[in-house]
Amino acid sequence: MALAFDEFGRPFIIIKEQEQKTRLRGIEAQKANISAGKAVARILRTSLGPKGMDKMLQSPDGDVTITNDGATILEQMDVDNQIAKLMVELSRSQDYEIGDGTTGVVVMAGALLEQAEWLLERGIHPIRIAEGYEMASRIAVEHLERIAQRFDFGPTNIEPLVQTCMTTLSSKIVNRCKCALAEISVKAVLSVADLERKDVNLDLIKVEGKVGGKLEDTELIYGITVDKDMSHPQMPKKIEDAKIAILTCPFEPPKPKTKHKVEIDTVEKFQTLRQQEQKYFDDMVQKCKDVGATLVICQWGFDDEANHLLMHRNLPAVRWVGGVELELIAIATGGRIVPRFQELTPEKLGRAGLVREKSFGTTKDKMLYIEHCANSRAVTIFIRGGNKMMIEETKRSIHDALCVARNLIRNNSIVYGGGSAEISCSVAVETAADKYPGVEQYAIRAFADALDAIPMALAENSGLQPIETLSAVKSQQIKENNPHFGIDCNDVGTNDMCEQNVFETLIGKQQQILLATQVVKMILKIDDVISPSYY
Amino acid sequence: MAAMLQPQIILLKEGTDTSQGKAQLVSNINACTAVADMVRTTLGPRGMDKLIHDEKGNVTVSNDGATIMKLLDIVHPAAKILVDIAKSQDSEVGDGTTTVVLLAGEFLKEAKPLIEDGVHPQNLIRSYRTACYLAIEKIKELAVSIEGKSLEEKKSLLAKCAATTLSSKLIGGEKEFFASMVVDAVITIGNDDRLNMIGIKKVPGGNMRDSFLVNGVAFKKTFSYAGFEQQPKKFLNPKILLLNIELELKSEKENAEIRLSDPSQYQSIVDAEWNIIYDKLDKCVKSGAKVVLSRLAIGDLATQYFADRDIFCAGRVAEEDLHRVAAAAGGTIQTSVNNIIDEVLGTCGIFEERQVGNERFNIFSGCPSGRTATLVLRGGADQFIEEAERSLHDAIMIVRRALKNSTVVAGGGAIDMEISRYLRQHACTIAGKSQLFINSYAKALEVIPRQLCDNAGFDATDVLNKLRQKHALPSGEGAPYGVDINSGGIADSFANFVWEPSVVKINAINAATEAACLILSVDETVRNPKSESAQGEAAANAMAGRGRGGGFPGRGRGMRRR
Repeated sequence: MALAFDEFGRPFIIIKEQEQKTRLRGIEAQKANISAGKAVARILRTSLGPKGMDKMLQSPDGDVTITNDGATILEQMDVDNQIAKLMVELSRSQDYEIGDGTTGVVVMAGALLEQAEWLLERGIHPIRIAEGYEMASRIAVEHLERIAQRFDFGPTNIEPLVQTCMTTLSSKIVNRCKCALAEISVKAVLSVADLERKDVNLDLIKVEGKVGGKLEDTELIYGITVDKDMSHPQMPKKIEDAKIAILTCPFEPPKPKTKHKVEIDTVEKFQTLRQQEQKYFDDMVQKCKDVGATLVICQWGFDDEANHLLMHRNLPAVRWVGGVELELIAIATGGRIVPRFQELTPEKLGRAGLVREKSFGTTKDKMLYIEHCANSRAVTIFIRGGNKMMIEETKRSIHDALCVARNLIRNNSIVYGGGSAEISCSVAVETAADKYPGVEQYAIRAFADALDAIPMALAENSGLQPIETLSAVKSQQIKENNPHFGIDCNDVGTNDMCEQNVFETLIGKQQQILLATQVVKMILKIDDVISPSYY
Repeated sequence: MAAMLQPQIILLKEGTDTSQGKAQLVSNINACTAVADMVRTTLGPRGMDKLIHDEKGNVTVSNDGATIMKLLDIVHPAAKILVDIAKSQDSEVGDGTTTVVLLAGEFLKEAKPLIEDGVHPQNLIRSYRTACYLAIEKIKELAVSIEGKSLEEKKSLLAKCAATTLSSKLIGGEKEFFASMVVDAVITIGNDDRLNMIGIKKVPGGNMRDSFLVNGVAFKKTFSYAGFEQQPKKFLNPKILLLNIELELKSEKENAEIRLSDPSQYQSIVDAEWNIIYDKLDKCVKSGAKVVLSRLAIGDLATQYFADRDIFCAGRVAEEDLHRVAAAAGGTIQTSVNNIIDEVLGTCGIFEERQVGNERFNIFSGCPSGRTATLVLRGGADQFIEEAERSLHDAIMIVRRALKNSTVVAGGGAIDMEISRYLRQHACTIAGKSQLFINSYAKALEVIPRQLCDNAGFDATDVLNKLRQKHALPSGEGAPYGVDINSGGIADSFANFVWEPSVVKINAINAATEAACLILSVDETVRNPKSESAQGEAAANAMAGRGRGGGFPGRGRGMRRR
């Protein structure tokens, strides 16, 4: 920290605990920040694309996560450096907004920072670099809009949506059955989507997983699964045309909330109390029966006596169902949540075509399926897989695919993947650069170079010669004036992403470019880092 | 040896540190200059940001002078004055906080050689005060009023002011977009002094351009219970009931106890409790309200009850949001559900729950009174949004000031150069020492354009010479010329719409002069030894003592620790 000196040349303190703080300023601070940002990007670089590799992360308490999702990797890495944290947030906000492309955005930001370092060394003012980047990002975003294509889909024609989701899934570990998973995701989104308002509430899609079985057994259930079983083992395992009573009160004598005491001084009184209690149970079960319920789902537990009575009266019941599931069941079956027995009416019952208990493998694991519901606005994706890590990663992959499908419903424009959009933007930005007077021109050109980083990483991860491949594709794009040429990662034999059916959403791509530019600007603008020295 | 014979008079407690005289004055000035140096680089559109960690690991990235000064945690007594003026500038006008610190630092720097040469500080102070008075008169004379224009014209003029403020910030790239948003927000809330009617909500994700302005209120979905999803999420012209009570099944009195001797009465007690809550809920429903908001919890029972009756409810709404809804929708917050009459219910054009980024937001728009606005900010990282919020706060303050006190001056250092020229000219008419002092005051004012150039990487001397020449033109046409930040030359700031409200400049010059005079008038510092209770902060103090006492040991120790 800079010290000030008094009249006798002694240093004196201006800031509290001055000695314990370190200060980096000027170009040094920028260099340090850039290298931190680059380091994060380097970690993610190998995860990009269909041939990208996964990372294994171990948390402090020993949990292992294997993933190739950028946002998850960064989240779990627990970085300490402030600039690196900015990159983590960058990836997270891509995740929040778009849900996909979390790796790409970080790689992009890393490339921009790398280019900026070059320019800084040449003595260009950091803010002019940032401004140049901003201009370039605007050009790129406009260009994307130009090369984007719209496609039409409807509840019957879901093929385009499936294709796009497949592109997302192809980079994940589950790409073995990407086709099936993509179809499941699209169907799930379409069944909860509000196509008129273009709104999709992903809360209505429940993603459940259970260890065992094959990935191919993953299924979409038009209804809800609950990880519970019937309260009594002898209750029927399968109910057709179920009328469901959804309760948030326990099968117990009601208790007042106010502190209370029942004073019993005679045997008669005790007898009445006992009888009353029994009557309560009887009443409760009877009420459920009276309104015609054939299944009771309860948020709380049952008294053993109630359980016995329910069994006796042939009324199957499920207990300890969580609030969120209860709500989803209510939505799916069109029933109402009932807070006490007195209010049960036939109208408030939910309806489901089929309720069945299913057990898995040799284990005693049982799940309750509630299917063919009156209102299929709530669906469940049920994932099977060899081990827990696999299921977790599948969940994340499905989440990405769901987000992609949602984004397409909001805005049905797509661009072609495989790095083709980036190459095309790079060409457009490069040409536009020459029109700008001033130092920004250099920054704009650097931006074009940075855009090449994504196809370059794709090629590298696929084991191709990065520079050779990129220049070949680029020249092909310019020669044939066709923005659909990208990196042939899967060695299909054609560069045309249109033929390969590799799509990405337009808004996702635009968001990547804008977010990366924004964060890079923020990093470049910092020229002074004051921190406690123990960092 | 005379001292040995005469008993020494002990006036101050042992350990008290005093220093006095001219040397003390000089060292105070040094301290202030060091502080001003820290914020120097943040000035102007090419100014840089600072990243500051504190001990708790909180990180702030900021370009706002007041924020940086606050976070630096300055302990030097004289330098603290600079922190105070930055804060006061922030609360008074909201912007120009870097400027004020820089000016004060520069006034002191100019005074330093004069003090060293033996000028009496009071002389300097008097001249500085005169110069300050003259400068302010000059600003008032140069200011251009935007009064009397039509609303549309005024809006675009105000947007120019906001854009000037925003240009130095992180969101400078989208300054037009945000400037018009800020102006709309400020005009919506009208002339009242109700800044809290502008809400700023932050949602990570998305890019800056996804930020939007709601003419009404928006807040994040609150914690909800089962049944919430079954409520309708969109209403046209709903009636809104605002409450400050819990709608939950609970014991009415905390310490009451019920004793029953007859078991058959048991059910009646249970029923009584249920009736209380049902009675409340029923009253809410009967009032005709379609949206029920409460500051306290709305339990699962109530949520389901409302869901059954197609009513939307949200519990645990933050107090300020609730007040904003009350102001916007025209309702009043009720503390009881008895006697709800139509007048206490608010209403709005559209109520909707909408997805913003990863969050769901409740948005009330088209409110009848229209006196509230909410800015929903989006951005790539938390720190980014935080800084955006601070920047917008500055812009809002500027627009409000400009709206009330509607005169503007040319920015980009133009006004500073013009005052400087005027003061120099005036100084020539004075006989006596103050000629010299006013000249140095005038020179100090040039720091603003000089720093603008330095930050942008231009040759400051070159640009300044050009500016001086332009301003010295006898016709006066050069007055609005300032630094052209894009090309590195000079340009007519006024014509380029680099505008600042005059009140910002007046306040900055006033505050900076005051601070400089205050520091100049101090000739002795008495620092009391730390009291026993303050020993908790021992580490810092021990270091401070050593640092002052004996050369470098403090620093040396700091090095070893690493």
